[in-house]
Amino acid sequence: MSEEQKSQLSRRNFLKIAGLAGAAVQAGGMIAGGVAAGKDSESYTGWESFNPGTQFFNREPYRIEGPAHKPVGEVRRPSHMTDYVFGRVGTFQHAYENNPDWSLDDPIEELGVPQPLVEFYNKFPERLEWDYKTFSETIPTNREDRKKYGNYYRLAEAYSAGFGGYSRFLPGPDGPPEASDFLMPGTDREIGEQVPFKSPELASDFIKEVGHRFGATLIGITKTKLDFLYTEGWRGCPDDYDFSKLPEHWENAIVIGVPMEWDVVAASPQFSTSGDAYNRVSSAAVRLEACIKDLGYAARTHSPNTGYDLLVPPHAVEAGLGEVGRFGFCLTPEVGGNLRTAVITTNMPLEIDQPIDFGVAEFCKKCKLCAESCPSGAISMADSPDGMEIRGYEHWFINNGACYNYWRESMGPMGCRMCVMTCPYSRKDNWLHDAARQLDPRDPTGTVSSGLLWMQKNFFDYPDAEEYRRPPIGHFESFRPEPSYLQAEKYLDINITKPSKES
Amino acid sequence: MFFESGFFWFLMGILFVLVAAGFKAFADDRGWVITWWKALLGVIWYGIFSVSFLSWGTLIGESEGGAGFKVFLLGMFISLVLGVGLWRLMQLEPGEVKSVEEE
Repeated sequence: MSEEQKSQLSRRNFLKIAGLAGAAVQAGGMIAGGVAAGKDSESYTGWESFNPGTQFFNREPYRIEGPAHKPVGEVRRPSHMTDYVFGRVGTFQHAYENNPDWSLDDPIEELGVPQPLVEFYNKFPERLEWDYKTFSETIPTNREDRKKYGNYYRLAEAYSAGFGGYSRFLPGPDGPPEASDFLMPGTDREIGEQVPFKSPELASDFIKEVGHRFGATLIGITKTKLDFLYTEGWRGCPDDYDFSKLPEHWENAIVIGVPMEWDVVAASPQFSTSGDAYNRVSSAAVRLEACIKDLGYAARTHSPNTGYDLLVPPHAVEAGLGEVGRFGFCLTPEVGGNLRTAVITTNMPLEIDQPIDFGVAEFCKKCKLCAESCPSGAISMADSPDGMEIRGYEHWFINNGACYNYWRESMGPMGCRMCVMTCPYSRKDNWLHDAARQLDPRDPTGTVSSGLLWMQKNFFDYPDAEEYRRPPIGHFESFRPEPSYLQAEKYLDINITKPSKES
Repeated sequence: MFFESGFFWFLMGILFVLVAAGFKAFADDRGWVITWWKALLGVIWYGIFSVSFLSWGTLIGESEGGAGFKVFLLGMFISLVLGVGLWRLMQLEPGEVKSVEEE
């Protein structure tokens, strides 16, 4: 072997060894880079990351000509007293407290609820059974559970209370739309003359730019639809107000959304709270309302902290933020179902957005993870929503009586949010989930979503729905462990009992 | 943080060049003729192999390490199956492909 050949051989051997070592280092580097990507604060889509960049999914290829909601039966507007679960259970509670001896064996007329609610309960008797169970059984039992285990969730409750306490400082309308919508929020000062925009397109562009900076993670614009306005009880309106018409200055609906804190909502049902996103989206909405009014246009905020005169999810869908999921609310490409929404109705001339179709309807038919994980069984397990309708529109069936019942069984800040967290779309913003976001809607065969769903169901831990229930059925399980800063055992010097199946 | 920085991915790029050079030396030793399509398939295979590690790490970062390991094992299995096929393809002479096409 010549010297030249020897030299070539040793150079080759060096390259081979260096290449092998490089591959090993690169494998380690990939793991380290992956860990960094998984933990990256920028992956926490929403108020925890750079806000104007939060609406990162390009919706344009998926726009469809609206409306997304097409009637399949006789359309009926929602009622605050019957359809709105908090309105209904509040009315039931008031009547039941005045008639504590009333039971399901007695005629509903004897309970003392208003006639529309009597008619509703006669039409949906299972809702009456659930509401009765909630107040006669679940709430008293939960009081005992809280005496026993409440301290374990003490910090989660305090975290939620921080947002709830602040919510009372947000001004809501105190007069009918024709009056309060023309006053600056929280004042008696009338709005000034309208400042014209060069075009509705530019007005929409401005609203979206500032809306993100006011704190909105997602923004879309649509026309306000009478079908989704409550039939009574608008804020600031007397009982004899004409609720049958859409106020002229409610022409456009700006829909905004903010996600709940990702690590906290992952610890649903017991440790999570909706309070953070409720508060943030309400604050952003009031800011936007003030901004619009400063430009001389009428506006009214409909938000979790200031109250609603309309249903938000259908408007969110029409505004192209997402599609209706099996769990009944708007499922978006960026944050899945982890979104709390608000609407600002206004007469500002705006260019509206069209709804989108990015494959949710088909995906929800085969996924069912939210229904399988629902502790109350409130979400339909059917293969398709065919034949299901709510107030004249096709819609997955949701038993909101059963849903609310589990709210009152849960510990911590109350509520559930399991459907939000188990949804495979409710994922943070990193390369792994973004790859799924981009690939799935572009695959007309559904192979990508089926493959991802198979991995989701077989690789990830999903506690059985019963484990979220109270002992002895379950042990107040949470979907994922609570963040360390909500661990009462770590911080508090009090007696703490952790729930277990045996306790 | 270093592992989120552009500099980190720049270093990973340099390592990739080293891996490619090492592979070329390995192929030369075995007498393989690396055509453009073999190189492309090799890069794709190495991409799948590397993404398996990256996925594992990402899910560890999201506190889903168990799921991440399963994704990694799936990636390794796919890499193994594809790797066996790729190994056989690498041994083909350019002429052999042509003669197979002509037959």
